[in-house]
Amino acid sequence: MATDRTAFLTQMVEVLTSTVSFGERLNNMVHLLARNLKVDLALYFGLDKTRETLFLNVSSQGPVPPHMRLEFPLGQGLVGETARTRKVAVVHRRQPGVLEANALLETLHPAYQTLAAFPVADDNFLYGVLILVDREERSFPGAERQGVQLTCLMLATALRQAIVQEEAKKRIAELSVLFEVGKALVSTVELDELLERIVSTTAKVITARGAALQIMDAATGEPRVSSRYGQIPPECPALTQMKPSAGTEGSTYFEAEGVDAAGHPHYCLAVPLTFKGQLTGTLGVYDKFNPNGEFLPFDPENRLLLFTMAGVIVNAIENALTYQQVEDLAEKNERMVRNLTVLQEISQVMLTSVNEVRLQEIILQGLTMEHGLGFDRAVLLMVDEANQTLRGAQGACRSPVSGAIPNLKELQVPPPEMMAVEDWEIPLRADQGPLALAVLRKRPYHHHQTVKEPGLPAALEGKYAAQEFFVVPLEVKDRATAVILVDNQASGRPLEPERLDALQMFATQAALVLENAHLYSTIETNNRELLLIRERMLESDRLAALSSLASGMAHEIRNPLVSIGGFARRIAKLVEPNSPLRGYVEVIQEEVTRLEKLLREILDFTGENLSYYGDHDLAKLIMDTMILVQRDLDANKIKVVREFAQLPRIHCDDRQMKQVFYNLFQNAIQAMLHGGTLTIRTFPVEKPDGLYAAASISDTGSGIPMEVLHNIFNPFFSTKDYGTGLGLAIAQRIVSRHYGQIEVNNEIGKGVTFVVTLPVAKYCLVKDVGQGAVPASVLKAPKGGRQ
Amino acid sequence: MKKILVADDEVSIRLLYSEELKEEGYEVYQAANGREALEVVDKIPLDLVILDIKMPEVDGIEALRQIKEKRPNLPVVLSTAYGEYKQDFATWASDEYLVKSSDLEDLKAVVKRYLKE
Repeated sequence: MATDRTAFLTQMVEVLTSTVSFGERLNNMVHLLARNLKVDLALYFGLDKTRETLFLNVSSQGPVPPHMRLEFPLGQGLVGETARTRKVAVVHRRQPGVLEANALLETLHPAYQTLAAFPVADDNFLYGVLILVDREERSFPGAERQGVQLTCLMLATALRQAIVQEEAKKRIAELSVLFEVGKALVSTVELDELLERIVSTTAKVITARGAALQIMDAATGEPRVSSRYGQIPPECPALTQMKPSAGTEGSTYFEAEGVDAAGHPHYCLAVPLTFKGQLTGTLGVYDKFNPNGEFLPFDPENRLLLFTMAGVIVNAIENALTYQQVEDLAEKNERMVRNLTVLQEISQVMLTSVNEVRLQEIILQGLTMEHGLGFDRAVLLMVDEANQTLRGAQGACRSPVSGAIPNLKELQVPPPEMMAVEDWEIPLRADQGPLALAVLRKRPYHHHQTVKEPGLPAALEGKYAAQEFFVVPLEVKDRATAVILVDNQASGRPLEPERLDALQMFATQAALVLENAHLYSTIETNNRELLLIRERMLESDRLAALSSLASGMAHEIRNPLVSIGGFARRIAKLVEPNSPLRGYVEVIQEEVTRLEKLLREILDFTGENLSYYGDHDLAKLIMDTMILVQRDLDANKIKVVREFAQLPRIHCDDRQMKQVFYNLFQNAIQAMLHGGTLTIRTFPVEKPDGLYAAASISDTGSGIPMEVLHNIFNPFFSTKDYGTGLGLAIAQRIVSRHYGQIEVNNEIGKGVTFVVTLPVAKYCLVKDVGQGAVPASVLKAPKGGRQ
Repeated sequence: MKKILVADDEVSIRLLYSEELKEEGYEVYQAANGREALEVVDKIPLDLVILDIKMPEVDGIEALRQIKEKRPNLPVVLSTAYGEYKQDFATWASDEYLVKSSDLEDLKAVVKRYLKE
């Protein structure tokens, strides 16, 4: 008997330690048990995962058909009771209650007399119950029972092993999936690529037909499909519906199923992606399929895997996002550095010029050059404070990029493709669009078609179409002096906000250099004016010296001339009318007269620095002079036409001014010895430096021959046989001393018009220049002269 | 016979003026400078003085001032080579201002105007 038992146990150990699958081993064992104990039937009931019910797994009669699948809840029948108590129990059919409690077993063996139940358990775990059924009434005494109990213990060990093995296998599979996922995730830091890998790996690992990843959009807070893989059935709920609520726990998931038109079921499963308790998105899979291509619902293991993957993915996404942020930041920094470098280089170039127009050109180049700020178009508008308008100064378009990178220093060389903007004129009012507003409010504008801000002034819309542009004021000492307008209309590139920062920095520089240039040009103008005044003063000094010399000489000559001429006249009276002496004496007389006239004119020319300035009415000066020439006018039958305008007084030496008009009248009369019309007009003239009063004297003579026209103001030039030729020279000298101008309009055959332009009194730059300029050689004139 | 003084440092001018005026029927006295002219004014009851401006010792302007002090009603004609001061003669209190010219008709006309009976 003992050898039998040993042989049985040996066999049992062999079965249990064989290398066949666990199911096979279990089967073999149950059969061996039935054969060795010579029982009709041996059954194994396994405890299911819920640990609530025991199912019939193995029967010594052979495979258990599906309809024979028996189950006993824990505590019910002999099976359930043994599982609960974990104690061996042997019952007989005749015992009360046995038949009722085990009615199910009746279907397997209707004639049984004995039921023996053995728990299959180790120290802390129950795996199932072994039932032996026999038609004899048996008690399974001592050794037999011990043998079965030993077998059950071995079975429990094997079961435990199998479970552990199964778990380990699953764990390994899961780990290898995660390894795959991890490998995929760390292989890239490019977010887009990463997201694609995530969805494709997820779909493959779960054997799903499609997968999709949604990421919360930082701007809107709404989830947005970032990446998708495979086929996502339209029957599935929209992705956006899969929005998990904020603060979702790790265990929350979304599961849905639908049926398509053809009646095929579709499934989807999604889990939230949370990072540091913050919902960052969802990961969803669609339509798991088996090797036959049938769609299956997702099981809890898939869910678990998806959760695990979600945890890994979320970290990877966060890493990638951080990386991207760092990269963005680095790029931004690089751009910033580049901008600053460009600004610095442009500033240096700007410092090379103080010419305003050239500077404007450099500014526009800096704005439009590829290696400058690189805008497509730029326009510079200057503030006209007097008229409260913005005027277009210069505009430039981006010149096509040439192959070689131009050095910024080359800004000096190629002028940009210029745009005509001189006719742009925008009143500085708040309703005139961002250009005017930039000046009035001293702030930049980023105009976009979608932004509800006033656009370009209607006047410009036709000439300058732009959907998006920047406007930046150029400020100096809290005052906007100009405006820069830039856009990327031609290329359609968007205007990033940080470009506005760069533009503002640029504008600060540009404003400064433009202001410097402006100041410089003002100083230059003032310098020129001062030089001019100094020159005039010097000239007047020279003239004073010259006239002093000339007048001294003239006076010395005059006395002897008077004597010569006077005595010649006396001789003439004494000489006989027929005497040849008479002719000689007459020659002396005539020559003396001629010399005296010359002397008078020279003295008039040089003596003009004895001036007496006052405010005079131009028309009255002209009329006073007219009286002097009235006789000559009448004698030559010259008609006079006068057109006098109401004019402010002019600041002048009336005596000298009368001389001017006298000379001009004389000239006109000389041109019209056979009659004509003398037209005298006065009118106002607006010049950049102020208001002028003008008088024009026109004759109807034959005009001045072209070949001598350029000489007429030269001293001692004359077309006439008589005269000193000083008339026009004197007139011009006097007028220019009065800061006026004398011009000639000559029409051959029609006549000559002289136009005298004189500054009106309040615009006179230097007053009473002539005062005190009396030649030292002569007596001092009493202060103030005559009134 | 009306008495006229011609004061001029140029002897030829004095001679020319004297000859011409004598011919017109005036009694003519001569002075070579302002000082001499004032002496003549003191001694002779003159009817008119022709005074040059630029003269040695006492010039014409000073002589004019003193003559007008002595005899405010004595007509004084300034006759000078300096035509440009013509506008000032009123301030200098002379009665007439003539620029010297070889043609003495102007001078004679002025004298005649002052000395007509």
